[in-house]
Amino acid sequence: MNLRPLQSNSCRHGGCTLTGALSATTHVRDAVTVVHGPKGCAHHNFSLLHTTGLDNGELILPEIISTGLAETEIIFGGEEALAGVLTSVARQDPAAVFVLTTCIVDTIGDDVQEVCGRDYGVPIIRVPTAGFLGGTFQDGMNRALCAIAATVPSRRADSAASRAMGPCVNIIGEKNLEFEVEENYAEVCRLLDGLDLRVNVRCIRNCTLQDLSRLGMARLNILRDEELRPVGDFLKERFGTPYVISYPAGLEGTIGFLQSVADGCGVPGEGAIDREEEIQREILAGFQDIAGSEILMESSPGSPEALLVAGELVRRLALKPGAGGIRVPLPISPPVGSAGVRRLLHRWRCTIHA
Amino acid sequence: MPECDKPIWPCAMTGAAACLAGFEGITVVIHGSSGCYYYPTTFLHAPLEGTFILENEVIFGSDERIREVIDGLEGTSNRIAIITTCIPALLGEDIPSMLASQDVLLVDSPGFSGDAEAGYRKALECLTPSVNPETPGINIDGACLFDPFYRGNVREIRRLLAMAAVPVGTVFCADRADNVSDAALHTIGTNGDFRSGVGEYLGGTLGFDEIVRTFEIIGRKFEDSDIDPVIREAEGEEERVMAACDKFLRRSDPPTVAIFSGCSYALFAARTLKNYLDAEILCIGTRNEPDAVVSPAGTGFPVVHAPGMNRVKSLIDTYRPDLVLGSSFEQSVSRGRGFYGLIPPIRGRVQLAPHTIAGISGSLSFIEDLLNECRDRKKNHPQKLF
Repeated sequence: MNLRPLQSNSCRHGGCTLTGALSATTHVRDAVTVVHGPKGCAHHNFSLLHTTGLDNGELILPEIISTGLAETEIIFGGEEALAGVLTSVARQDPAAVFVLTTCIVDTIGDDVQEVCGRDYGVPIIRVPTAGFLGGTFQDGMNRALCAIAATVPSRRADSAASRAMGPCVNIIGEKNLEFEVEENYAEVCRLLDGLDLRVNVRCIRNCTLQDLSRLGMARLNILRDEELRPVGDFLKERFGTPYVISYPAGLEGTIGFLQSVADGCGVPGEGAIDREEEIQREILAGFQDIAGSEILMESSPGSPEALLVAGELVRRLALKPGAGGIRVPLPISPPVGSAGVRRLLHRWRCTIHA
Repeated sequence: MPECDKPIWPCAMTGAAACLAGFEGITVVIHGSSGCYYYPTTFLHAPLEGTFILENEVIFGSDERIREVIDGLEGTSNRIAIITTCIPALLGEDIPSMLASQDVLLVDSPGFSGDAEAGYRKALECLTPSVNPETPGINIDGACLFDPFYRGNVREIRRLLAMAAVPVGTVFCADRADNVSDAALHTIGTNGDFRSGVGEYLGGTLGFDEIVRTFEIIGRKFEDSDIDPVIREAEGEEERVMAACDKFLRRSDPPTVAIFSGCSYALFAARTLKNYLDAEILCIGTRNEPDAVVSPAGTGFPVVHAPGMNRVKSLIDTYRPDLVLGSSFEQSVSRGRGFYGLIPPIRGRVQLAPHTIAGISGSLSFIEDLLNECRDRKKNHPQKLF
């Protein structure tokens, strides 16, 4: 595979903007997403989303309609095809219609904005994606989140309705294609529970547009990871909501996360932190059988954050990294919370004892 | 209007990649973005290469990038095949001129040009397959990397040809690349939706009737062949199938069935279920457009084109079959009905061994799996008819 791991080429492997946007818009369950382009683009993504849904035990089919551009539309323009599909989809009376573009549509120059500006009787939310011409997977996801948030009334956390709800947080930008997405969310909820906080909106996972209308009512936004910073900034500007930059990574990162969330929400965090430190001591005590083992960390394709967490575990368990060690797996994303670290250590133990 | 709800069949680019990546000795390069590259890579489980083009290459031309990728592939003795995706095809760059000094195969098969079958055919045409009268034996065609049965099918047809003392010519498309231009004069099929069109077609191998018919033709064409062991095995195994189905029918009503697949497998499934279980075929929704080669005309089965998910769901909701044959997509909207995976994707279970649907073993597996599915359903849903 010609992955060419040169820094200058890293953006080549950033994935498709359309896929990133779809990973968010298709989780607004009462909306429909129209993909303006050849039907192959829609199929690729439909298949991917369906597969990852099955992996997460969900038998929900993402609502994706393709304008099915073929050679004729590509030569003479696809605007009327888009208008026709939007008219047809509007008859189903969805809560909203997201319109996502593909790279071929941007190349042939369809005036998608003008077509989306017509009156179809339902809200049309255009998300400017254009496959690789629009950037990366993450760009597409960020744009979709911002486009959706821009349609939400700018109620704030200090409103009367919000005060009545009690202290709560939003989860922003969960990785819906991630195999462990629900386990990671559950871990974050466990930590929030320790701070007597609850989740207001999962933006965006298995929700409705009505759910998203509460977006501005949380005290704090928790971003899934740092790449969502533009979304965090956008939400801060629109709703005045501060954010923490990512899910908790590693043991020390989990303690830091608890402190940041407590500070951000203005609630005491000491008790939760003490309890979590005790949990972490118990976790490490349960893996003393592999303490001091010689290991070799897989070089690909872990993120720098995952490497940092691995380094922390090496230190805490006095593991000995070296070329002659046993190769242990490194996750692409860092393990989330203390529970994520525990699961990673189980995998390491299996490898070390294999 | 070209609108398509939740399209459930891959595009021409993926079909072209499935064809070429099946040949050992060809390195397939997807000329396009990373988004277009990742799908066929994960779908085909094949080692594809990519140009991963970016916006500046769309604006200023991609020749430098193509050269960079091809240069990076030097050192393998493989022939390089470049498949264009939508954007490079639209740009109309003169890629053959760019690569005039190199033996590179260019397949212009963008996604918007059609479905997987169209891309597969286009790619095979570009390989300019030809027969060699000196090549002994019979070619096998219909092998396509994303067909969940292709490995098992090829293995089974090799077994049957060996029983008949007939050598195997070229396997389209799962063989060494140099065998493409050295094919035998005659061909038999597995999945008829991916016919090679190479050599004289002697017949298919889906179902006992086709197997017997095809091997009788082989017997007449090849004087040195000995088809008796194949015919004996087919007849003996068919009797076992008939006995098992008869036993099932003593206590159960025939199932009502909806089938979703390519034309070739769909018609095989319908024919088999009708013949041995007297099943009622409520509808057949085909992924591909029926063509002159694989046509439902005259079969008496109700066939419609169903390339999108809403169409599939509507058919299942309308007919409410006992059994659904299709992919994970169909399974998702089958609401607990009996299910058999006939077409990709088949997700949610581990599949390592090569399963077959062609040949004698294929028919046995097919009936065996369906009977077991029906029995399990009856245990779990005793109020149902079967």
